Amino acid sequence: MARIVHYLNQFFVGVGGEDAAASPPSSQPGPVGPGRRLAQLLGTEHEIVATVSCGDDDAAGRPEAVAEILALIQAANPDLVVAGPAFTSGRYGLACARVAAAASAAGLTALAAMHPDNPGVDEAGAAPVVASGEAARLMGPALDAVAAAVSKVLAGEALTAADGLVGLAPRLPRMADRNAAERAVDLVLARLGGDRDATEVPLPRFDKVTPAQPVADLSTATVAILTEGALVPDDNPGALESARATKWLRYSLAGVEELVPGEWRSVHGGFSTVWANADPNRILPLDAARQLEREGAIGRLHDAFLVTAGNGTSVANARRFGVEWAADLRHSGARAAILTAT
Amino acid sequence: MNLPPSEYRPGVSIMKVHHVRRVGLGAVTGWRDGALTVSADEARDLLAAPCLARVDVTWASPGDPIRIVKVLDVVEPRTKGPGGAGIFPGWLNPGPEAPVGPAVTHVLRGAAVVVAGYLPRAQEAVIDMTGPAAALSPFGGTHNLVVEFTPAADADWADVDDALRRGSLALAARLAEAVLGAPPDEEETLPDPTAVDALPRVATITNLQTQGVFKDVFVRGNSFNGKAPTLIDPAEIDDGAVVSGQFGHPSLRNPTWVHQNHPVVQALRARHGRDLSFAGVVLSPEPVSAADKAAVSAAAARLCADQGFDAVILTKEGGGNADADMALKMDALEDLGITAIGLFAEMAGPDGTGPPIVVAPERATAMVSTGNYDTRLSLPEMERALGGAELALLGVAATSAMELPTAVILAALSPLGWGSLTCSPEATGTATTGKA
Repeated sequence: MARIVHYLNQFFVGVGGEDAAASPPSSQPGPVGPGRRLAQLLGTEHEIVATVSCGDDDAAGRPEAVAEILALIQAANPDLVVAGPAFTSGRYGLACARVAAAASAAGLTALAAMHPDNPGVDEAGAAPVVASGEAARLMGPALDAVAAAVSKVLAGEALTAADGLVGLAPRLPRMADRNAAERAVDLVLARLGGDRDATEVPLPRFDKVTPAQPVADLSTATVAILTEGALVPDDNPGALESARATKWLRYSLAGVEELVPGEWRSVHGGFSTVWANADPNRILPLDAARQLEREGAIGRLHDAFLVTAGNGTSVANARRFGVEWAADLRHSGARAAILTAT
Repeated sequence: MNLPPSEYRPGVSIMKVHHVRRVGLGAVTGWRDGALTVSADEARDLLAAPCLARVDVTWASPGDPIRIVKVLDVVEPRTKGPGGAGIFPGWLNPGPEAPVGPAVTHVLRGAAVVVAGYLPRAQEAVIDMTGPAAALSPFGGTHNLVVEFTPAADADWADVDDALRRGSLALAARLAEAVLGAPPDEEETLPDPTAVDALPRVATITNLQTQGVFKDVFVRGNSFNGKAPTLIDPAEIDDGAVVSGQFGHPSLRNPTWVHQNHPVVQALRARHGRDLSFAGVVLSPEPVSAADKAAVSAAAARLCADQGFDAVILTKEGGGNADADMALKMDALEDLGITAIGLFAEMAGPDGTGPPIVVAPERATAMVSTGNYDTRLSLPEMERALGGAELALLGVAATSAMELPTAVILAALSPLGWGSLTCSPEATGTATTGKA
């Protein structure tokens, strides 16, 4: 009989919703919430010996959280770790993926479950991700897929697309027999010849983001200002990249009334930074935000800003930044944010 | 022997091509049996400017264990006669915007003038003369006369940029002057572009990323920033009417050398009269704002419709924001009934699973891939670095072994279509224009 540890977020173990999103990692014996149905599906063959959980903000936003979760998982001595299903929930998906990746890296067999568009898909490392639907109303079929995948993995078989394994066929680089200009002429002639589908590059599929509801009362809300304009302290102490950013940084605005030229600098490689450096407030509008704060138009300005360089950044990294920023801001109590782009 | 200017015919170039097989430095600039000797003193004189304290020239040839970092522009040596005689119009021939001089152009094929060194805002570009990156850049296979420089104290960076451009163009023309009178290895008469009525009229739109100092492109000596989409005689492109001052995304910029050897123009010429009628070249700026991008795209599409083009191949310059210029123009052309094909580099992440295009067309869906920006390359240690001692991007010695994305290799994803790099879901096989 295989021993399974199930990872869930604060909501699915019944601790609470967004109000409990900062709750720290914890462990309890046996299956909990959707784990009970999963245990039924797995039958007497396998046992969910423990359920480890963590708040979404804590798991996705605090760097040490994943290691703490892994320690709780290892304490239950499992044969297999199951994380999720997380559906389209970004922070939860990231947490499930990172937990599965960490477990896998630690030598445990692990799998995560979430919607194929969940940003966590890119973070699961060596652990397989099984597809689920978009939301918890599709929990039933999601658990059916997880149970089937668990049985297959424990039998030593590899998962395939037929099992719901998520993963796009990677587009791999290679040398063609002729240069791109010559192939473009071929493509023109193919299209003019009536082939309406000929192409070397399929159209990308982008997420559709539903905007959040407006903030009911800004005069009591903590508002954050964020930028992808790569504005950092003049000596760039965090070594933010000018292009293809792999990280984001957080700098304090506590006690800062406006951004003084010479103390701040945009390291963005994609536009002329002359005017940005002459007045850094035009990249991160701190002067205007402080004015709104004084006027009472907003409750309070968040006392830190988050920054990255939006220049050739991969979609996978940009998605991860977005989820981590959301977790960081929720953690800090911000309820609205203005993100400036360059 | 040059044709007199009166024999100039629009669209026609006669190229006397001299293959450079050996290079060196010597007392006098000269040419003998495929060997190009350059006087370093003469090169320094041509580049001399008050804003430059020091200039050095060094040869880097294919196979040499040399890495060139902080590359700015690359120019192919060409001339039409003593003093340039119409080459690089607007630069070597100040005054009215003359089109071009005589039809005959002398080309030093296999040689290049490479300017390398720090400029603000320039994204660091790399050329490796050996190892896996050498085959990915047009300039891993050329004998490169590398120009290094030290600005004068308190020099204005824009002046430094301008002096390097003027100096490198003058140097390129001077090197080509060494072959005047020598028999060429081959002579190419580029086809008469007279329309062939029975064949589809295919043209190209060349987008130039024109976004201010250090990110600008020049046409006949003037910045193309703020200009309208314009038809240009392809023979003018051969003669260096388009000069790069664009130091953005290294793999996605078009150095002057690539404009001089415009791959789409060459590919269209090669099929002219057989499969298609090569109908023209449109230069278009890539403005900064979304509204300007839309306005320029609509104007470019109308110009193509006015010219009666049946199909257009579009090329870009720059990163993700340049995809918007492509997508807007491609859709605008399709809306006017003109078939549109775009050359795109993919930005699909290191493992190739991300969305390949940043801003994709909606109605015009024919795209050619020039490779993935994010593909990682393991580059070997080199014996010597030119252009700088450090690769600032990684904070390591420029000679050290390093891992870099293809994005950093100069023109490796050539938006003008120089390279053969592409991407596909399969790991092996050769490219075919197939269905996605």
